[in-house]
Amino acid sequence: MKKRGHIWAWVIFAIGIVYFFLPLLATFLFSLKARLGVLSFQAYENVLRDPAFVRSFSYSVLWATLTIIFGILLFVPTAYWVRLRVPQARTAVEFITLLPFVVPAIVYVFGLVRTYSHPPLLIVNSPFLLVAAYTVLSMPYMYRAIDTGLRAIDVRTLTEAAQSLGANWPTILFRIILPNIRVAILNGAFLSFAIVIGEYILAQYLAKPAFGPYMAVQGQNKAYEPAALAIISFGLTWASMGIIDAFGRGRGQGATIAGGH
Amino acid sequence: MTHLALTDISKVYAGTTVVQDFNLEVNKGEFVSFLGPSGCGKTTTLRMIAGFEIPTTGRVMLDDADITDKAPNQRNVGMVFQAYALFPNMTVAQNIGFGMQIHKESKEAIKQRVEEMLALIHLETKGNSFPSQLSGGQQQRVALARALANRPQVLLLDEPLSALDAKIRVSLRQEIRSIQKKLGITAIYVTHDQEEALSISDRIVVMSGGKMEQVGTPFQIYNFPETAFVANFVGTLNTVKAEVVDPAKKLLRMDGVQLEAAEGLDGKGKGDEVTLAIRPERITFASVEEKANIFDCTIENITFLGSIVRIQVLAGSNKFFLDTFNNPFLELPKIGAKEQISCSKEAVLILK
Amino acid sequence: MTQLEAVKRDALKARPAYHKMSWAWLGVMPFFLFAFLFLIYPASTIVIRTFQDSHTQALTLKNIIGLNTPFIKTAYWVSIKISVVTALGGGIFGFFLAYSAVRGGLPSFMRGSLMTFSGVASNFAGVPLAFAFLALLSPAGVLTGWLKDIGLNPYDHGFTLYTFWGLSIVYMFFQFPLMVLIITPAIDGLRREWLEASENLGATSFQYWRYVALPILLPSLLGTMILLFGNAFGAYATAFALTGGQITLVTIVIGAQLRGDILNDPGLGYSMAFGMVIVMALAITGYTILQRRTERWLR
Repeated sequence: MKKRGHIWAWVIFAIGIVYFFLPLLATFLFSLKARLGVLSFQAYENVLRDPAFVRSFSYSVLWATLTIIFGILLFVPTAYWVRLRVPQARTAVEFITLLPFVVPAIVYVFGLVRTYSHPPLLIVNSPFLLVAAYTVLSMPYMYRAIDTGLRAIDVRTLTEAAQSLGANWPTILFRIILPNIRVAILNGAFLSFAIVIGEYILAQYLAKPAFGPYMAVQGQNKAYEPAALAIISFGLTWASMGIIDAFGRGRGQGATIAGGH
Repeated sequence: MTHLALTDISKVYAGTTVVQDFNLEVNKGEFVSFLGPSGCGKTTTLRMIAGFEIPTTGRVMLDDADITDKAPNQRNVGMVFQAYALFPNMTVAQNIGFGMQIHKESKEAIKQRVEEMLALIHLETKGNSFPSQLSGGQQQRVALARALANRPQVLLLDEPLSALDAKIRVSLRQEIRSIQKKLGITAIYVTHDQEEALSISDRIVVMSGGKMEQVGTPFQIYNFPETAFVANFVGTLNTVKAEVVDPAKKLLRMDGVQLEAAEGLDGKGKGDEVTLAIRPERITFASVEEKANIFDCTIENITFLGSIVRIQVLAGSNKFFLDTFNNPFLELPKIGAKEQISCSKEAVLILK
Repeated sequence: MTQLEAVKRDALKARPAYHKMSWAWLGVMPFFLFAFLFLIYPASTIVIRTFQDSHTQALTLKNIIGLNTPFIKTAYWVSIKISVVTALGGGIFGFFLAYSAVRGGLPSFMRGSLMTFSGVASNFAGVPLAFAFLALLSPAGVLTGWLKDIGLNPYDHGFTLYTFWGLSIVYMFFQFPLMVLIITPAIDGLRREWLEASENLGATSFQYWRYVALPILLPSLLGTMILLFGNAFGAYATAFALTGGQITLVTIVIGAQLRGDILNDPGLGYSMAFGMVIVMALAITGYTILQRRTERWLR
């Protein structure tokens, strides 16, 4: 089998390129048609000037950031502790982090709404529930990214060295462990960011004014703005993945299934 | 008669010459080793015989047929890889029978041959095991059987023992050699381990930097190395610079001391500098009768290597190693003592 | 008492290991508490209420039996069908794509670009993806326009984007990349020596594929296709945005149920959700089993 660029490889690649680029190209072209008869960025202008866009986008950015911070605060100590002190908990913890794959987003929100919309647990409208739900959604990626990062550094030796120098737990966690897994955390953070920004299901059914529902509404009412939004969204996702790539993706399957599809 | 011939073989990759001027004729049933350090081109040359690389120049002839441009699956040469390369989804028996299955031989013929092969490699009970259930040495034997089952004209082995433990390496190389002799099959064996090459080959090709340094029997390669590289690579060696005093009488001066060599000074003039080499086992402490090639020296270090004791001495400005057999009842000189060492004139090798 | 005996006695005293254990478990309590409150409890609510009568809270199987209506059966059937179709299609073409990039002898930058793009594309699902395909193939779409210009109006031939096949085409946009991302390490694991050994023994490339490569890759291929199945089965936003909720999928029905009792029985919503979880759990189990097989051969 000669290996200098088989013809079939080129053919397959060509088909792939056509399939993937055609919709993106079409979307881009479509988004330029807002002004009659001439190609322009009118649709983009309309979108960027729309106060609803600014509101919903900044809402999503804010809650994505809060989710990431909460995720770091919850998962870093947990992953650290499991690795260092309670390895017996490992199986249970890993199982839990994989559960969001088994429970599709729509089923999850169904359970969430039904559980938390009756007193005494009437917190369905609380913003904290949103953060918690987003954290659950991004947990497989965030937790695994952090765990991979911890695996790469010798947690035990670092901790013992720090302890022998007199450090207490918060110091160890924040001044020694955290800085050394910065790349892994960023990896997980950008993945979570991409997931939360584009997320639709949770936001819609928890009745939150996020970017996902905003896009859906635009889709129902406007013609060209949705295409512009799709391009913007694609660009954002690309930027997030690009930043992750720039920091080094590490172990392969970082960016696979996302919530909200 | 020549069974396998490589003529003017060279290989160039993206501007780098990996193999050049390779010429070799191998007789039927001969066991030839390609010996050299990593990157010397020995594996590339082997792969050109197998068909996984195409030579940039030169031809490969097998049994008077030109196979240079033939696809690897058309050549009927058997290859044993360093990493065994057994198919993990097949049992040992299926692996061994694979070549015959491809050639559409009958089930009975395959079964019989597989049994023959299993007996040959002494793994009769492992026919239905999977490769992952076998040890490294066992897997390599299966790989050997798989290559042989296909009745190849030449057997090619690419550092087959590098991945194994030292003890297994020694026993397995003997097994490979005895199987090869029994079947009378021509074999080319690539290795960087000189002890391996010396112990099992009919002839050795020493390679360095893509070129052939020397071809010869193990005896020749070891005792009469033709270049500094061969002398250094095969066995330990003392190398020193000396000046020619009289080419006709074969006299040299090293560090003020006169040396007599037995041969090798043709073409050198008085005053030329040469590199000479002396094997450590050819240097002894001078006995009273010796007249030639005696040096004064100081003992610097004594290393006990098991059956050999290696003594490091300083003679003038040169360090020498001399090896002597271990004898628990013989007293060794002390460090710092002054002694006299000597070697015969035949032991002095002049390197190109 | 000698010093040694004293040391031994003290060593025996320093034994309250169980105390140490329980303090350590405290460290992971926040995580378990979080998981319980926001994952396990809501999920278990679904399971429990599936088996409860929605009015009387009594234990009953009627919610499960109630799934046996034409409407719900259609929903499951369509969901399963689209998941199987996109898993097969996405799996096969995704595999070809990955293999071309890894072993097809293409310039090496193409593999990296494919990986990066796949990472992006597999995340580009949901509402924006629907928009993209609408922009392409809706009656007012760009491609529709080009085809009309050359006299080939697909809508004249009965094509619409808002159907099963239209949705399948859209789903492929995240199924192909997912396959590429997951199967590439497995293809990397196909050692070059296996190919050379089989060539050396006389096999053609077809025979190599038939006897060596495909059998070795099969567990990985099947496992990943199961993952693709699960991925499509649980998808909601894309289908909703594309069809306005008009297509009958289990996810769409559950979503509609959340907005109002369209099934005329709230209990059915739970059992539908429960059914989904069962299907997904089976899929993940199948994937895990096949994954272990893969790791045995392709370490």
